[in-house]
Formats: sequence, structure tokens, C-alpha cells
Amino acid sequence: MGLIDNIKEYQHNFAVNSKKEKAYLSFLEQGFPNTKNEEWKFSSLKKIISNDFSIEDKGIEINTEEINHNSLNFNYKIIFVNGVLDSKPIIKGVKINKHVDESPSFSNAFSALNAAFSNTGYEINVDPNIIIEEPIEILFLTKNSSNNFIQYRNKIVLGENSQIKIIESVKNIGDQYCFTNMQTNIKLNRSSNIEFNKLQNNNDSQITIDETSLTQEENSNSTVNTLLFGGMFTRNNLNFAQNGEHCESNMNGVVILDDNEFGDNHTYMDHKNANCESNELYKGIYLGKSRGVFNGKIMVQPDAQKINAFQANNNLLVSDNASINSKPQLEIYADDVKCSHGCTIGQLDENALFYMNTRGIRKEDARAILTFAFASEALEKISINKIEDLAKDLIAQKLKVDLSF
Amino acid sequence: MLKIDNLKAGIEGLEILKGINLSVKKGEVHAIMGPNGSGKSTLSSVIAGNENYEVISGSISFEGEDLLDLDPDQRAHKGVFLSFQYPVEIPGISVSNFIKAAITEKRKVLGLEAMSAKDLLLKMKEKMDLLDMQKGYLSRNMNEGFSGGEKKRNEIFQMAMLEPKLAILDETDSGLDIDALRVVANGVNKLKNSENATIVITHYQRLLDHIIPDYVHVLHNGRIVKSGGKELAHELEKKGYDWITKEADKKWG
Repeated sequence: MGLIDNIKEYQHNFAVNSKKEKAYLSFLEQGFPNTKNEEWKFSSLKKIISNDFSIEDKGIEINTEEINHNSLNFNYKIIFVNGVLDSKPIIKGVKINKHVDESPSFSNAFSALNAAFSNTGYEINVDPNIIIEEPIEILFLTKNSSNNFIQYRNKIVLGENSQIKIIESVKNIGDQYCFTNMQTNIKLNRSSNIEFNKLQNNNDSQITIDETSLTQEENSNSTVNTLLFGGMFTRNNLNFAQNGEHCESNMNGVVILDDNEFGDNHTYMDHKNANCESNELYKGIYLGKSRGVFNGKIMVQPDAQKINAFQANNNLLVSDNASINSKPQLEIYADDVKCSHGCTIGQLDENALFYMNTRGIRKEDARAILTFAFASEALEKISINKIEDLAKDLIAQKLKVDLSF
Repeated sequence: MLKIDNLKAGIEGLEILKGINLSVKKGEVHAIMGPNGSGKSTLSSVIAGNENYEVISGSISFEGEDLLDLDPDQRAHKGVFLSFQYPVEIPGISVSNFIKAAITEKRKVLGLEAMSAKDLLLKMKEKMDLLDMQKGYLSRNMNEGFSGGEKKRNEIFQMAMLEPKLAILDETDSGLDIDALRVVANGVNKLKNSENATIVITHYQRLLDHIIPDYVHVLHNGRIVKSGGKELAHELEKKGYDWITKEADKKWG
């Protein structure tokens, strides 16, 4: 069998000529991407999709204690337990609902699959002029009885002049495979502001495909911080489109993987209008036999003059068996723009290690301190102290040292 | 305290030290002088434990213990400190965090209670005053963008914080102007007591006007070819190295 056959068994579930059926048929036509597809050249799904998955696994009951243990325990929490909305906060000026999108797109295989099968996710609507300082935690927690293929579909709309901060994580605590296909659309109206933090700290049963797309109107400001600290297979597609002038888009990522973990960050920055800015900084640290992919595309459309676009991807290969494929792509059709990009792949500086050693700092700790120093620049845009501290602890854990950075 | 016995060492198969003998007792200041390429930096690197250098034969004992058996961090915990000729820039780590990490680990290994953040800061302030250092310096990244003089001062600052038993100052005077030299030397002198020892490695005599050695050794072609009191340094300043090296070359060829 395999996942594609599991999916084919569902044909009779769709109403003829319904939007969901169209999405379903679109997926069947496209099939799962393979490594002949340029966008998936280094990211093979072959092994994963050779497994059988259930599409309707209801999961094993998760008790309150387990929920609390896996939550970051912010005051505002939206928690999904085995796909079911378990709790949501009441915040003045913010509407939170279980979301089912009326007009899903299916531009690629995974968005088509998501449009066909998703029946859960969140929708957050922030009223104009509402500023929420306190972060909203979103947790998707699952515990499966069998290999599970689950689809989440989310939407955030920020009214004019509004502002929110989000910390989102997907977590599987079962020992069966959990294959999550998540699509999130974020719409920023004029002069709104979002800080979206993605915490991807999973065990090796988790497979994640995440597509997050932001569209920004005039004067809006977005920051997406991706903290990819674990998971068997993670593919992030992060897309920004600037629909108005004077927008700012920031994306920061820290990737730290070990063992046989795989992580792929594909970003797409679409500068469609003049006088905008984008800043992108991804830091990758690869241990063990882990593998990484970075693909950062910046598009500057013909009318998008006076653009300032910055991109950097720096990688550290800590082990001889780790690897990274990094590819910056710039397409510039305007003439008055400032674009810079840089990509580095290196190892820890042996001279610095010896220097620290002679000051009494053990080799393991010196390595960890240098590695953290390497990553720290990409953590700076996180405004929520608790998340920054958590990231530091997780990095120490990942590097197997007992240090507080 | 330190006893080096017939030490032969080199790098990439090339023998640089060809039989060093040196004995340093607590409370003493030794100067090791010599022309470029005589092996001065190799000697300090081997004592500190740089793995790029290979010890061929001989021994180094520190307070009766075989130093060559220990890793560089363990040597540091025992009280050995090397002030680098070329201190390494470490982006992303502030001076204060660096020192904190070093002191925390040393105290942990020695079984001492961790130092409180307040005590640590007080101690840093005190040592900064000693070396005439500016306040903003603690939050700067380790040696990053430091001038030559600032780097050397930072070395002595770390030495002041770590309070080693044996400090090896490798060309500490290079890159220092005369005022900075005086400040650094003054710092070193204040840290000196009857329980610790200092080895000053230098090409020139000028640092020795400020840090007065008890013994001066001349290193040439991997061997200590002459030893004497502080007056030997003055003699070298006047007459250069030639008269000693020529004599030595006759003896060892």
C-alpha cells in the first residue's frame, strides 16, 4: 500500500463537483512531489509515503496533565487535542473560531490535499486598533493509535492598526508516525503588526509540511521566527507578499538538528510594491547525520522601486556526516533597489575552541557556547522573553550541555 | 612549581624544541628571550596544551603532577594561564559572559560554590580599575574589533579574574604603546605574590624595565643557551643576540 493508496480509498467520500472533490482530484493529478521537482530536489518523501497512514485516526485520549506538560502555559491558549479544539481564550477585540475555509487554494499537491481533507484549525480575527501585547499560544497536540495523516487549516486576519503576537507549536506525543500538513494564511491590513513564532521541537515520529503565507497591506509589519529544533522530517514554506508600500517583512530561523533529522526551509519574499523592506536571517546547525535545505527566493517586481532586501543563511556543520544544501535565488526586475544575500557553510573555529579551553572551559561547553553564539543573532527578533529563554534551554539540551546561555 | 625536563617538541614532524630544561619556583619571575624563530611561542603553546604541537620526549611537571597528561582546560583548573600573543576574536560572546563561563567551570571542577552574579560583577569592576579599562568593555564581544592594545589588556584582565598560579605572558608587549605597556605591567606586578610565578616571553627588553625578572633565559634554536639574572637582559639590549647565538651554534652545530 502506501499513503497514495490510502488517499485513493477516499474518493467516494467527496460530493461530486464539490470544491473539496476538485481539490482532491487536483491532488491525484499532481501526486506527491518527487526529487525530480526542482523545489523538492533534496527533500525526498519517498520513504515516508511508502508507509500506510490513517486519515481518520481519532487518537488516544490525552489527559489534562499531559496537555499542561506540553503547553508553554501562556495566559492565552488555543489548544487542539487530537485535532479537536479543546480550549480557547476570551480576548476583547479578538474573535477566535474553529476555521473551515470557504475558498481554499490548491496551487500545489499539499495545498490541494489540505483543501480536500482539512476539517480543523483556527481562525483569528483581530479588530481594527486592537493591540494585544500578551502572546497567544497555539498548540496542536496529538497522540495517535496508528500512523496518522492530519491536515490543519488556519487563518489570521489583522484589522487596521492592530497588533498580535503568536507562538505556535505542533506536537506529537505518541510513538506512531504523525504526518501533519498545515496551511496558514495571514492577512495584515493597513498598519497592522504580527510577530509569529513557530516552535518545531518534535521527536522522530513527527513529519511536518507547513505552508505559511502572509499578505501585507500598506505600512504593515510582520516577523516570523522559526525555531526548528527537531522532528523526523520538516518542510517549511514561508511566503510573504507585499501588496502595499512601506511594508516590512522579517523572517528569522534557527535550525538545530541531530541524528537522522531532516529540515527544509523554503522562503519566498515577493516585493510587489515600492518603498518596502525585507530582512531574512537563517542560522543552521547540523549535528549527527542530520540534513538541511535552505532555499530563499527574493522577487522584486518591476514597479517595486526603492526596495531594501537583505538575506543571509549561515550554516555550521558540526559533524562530518551532516549536510546542508543552501540556495539563494534573486529575481530583480526593478532598477533602484538594494538587495544583498550571503550564504556560508563552516565549522567551529578551532583556535577559538583552544583559546576557551585554556581559560578552563571544557571542550563540550566551549563548542556549545560557540554554537550558541553563532545562533544567537537570529534569536534577537523574538520579543517574548519566555520564548527566547525557552529557545536557549532547548539549544543547550540539543547540544547536550548543562549551561545557561 | 614548574619543572621542564629535556623537552623536545615540534609541529608537523619538524622538531622545534630540542631539549628544554627549566625550573620555576613560586614567587619567581622568569624571562625567556630570544630572536624570532627560536621556539618561544612553541614552548608556551606546549605548556598550555595546544594539540597542534607534538611532544616528542621529555616531561613537564606542575606542582609534582604530569602536565602533559592533562587537557588544556584541566591545566587551567590547576592554575596554568597563557596570555596569548594573538588573542582570538570570538563573535557573539561578551567579555562578561566569557569570564563568567570560565570562572563557573573552574569553581565547579574545584568543588567551590558558584559565585553570585553580584560578587562576580564587583570583582570584574575591581580588576578593570586595576587595568584602567572603560566601563562599556564588559558587554563588547570577546576581542572582536579590539585594538592590539585592548586585546592584550583583555588577556591580563582574564588573568586577574582567574588568579592563576603560573602565568605565561607570550609577547604581551607587542602592540602596546608606552602608556598601555606601563598599565599592563603595573597590573601584572600587582597580581604577583609569593605564591604565584610568572614567565615572561619576549623579544625585547622594554617590558622587563617594568616587570623585573629574577632570571633571564636566552632561547636559541630550540635550546636555552644562556641563563642569568636581570642584568643579562640589559646586556642583550646593548649587544644583541649574536654573541650568544654564535657561541651556541659552535657548541651544538
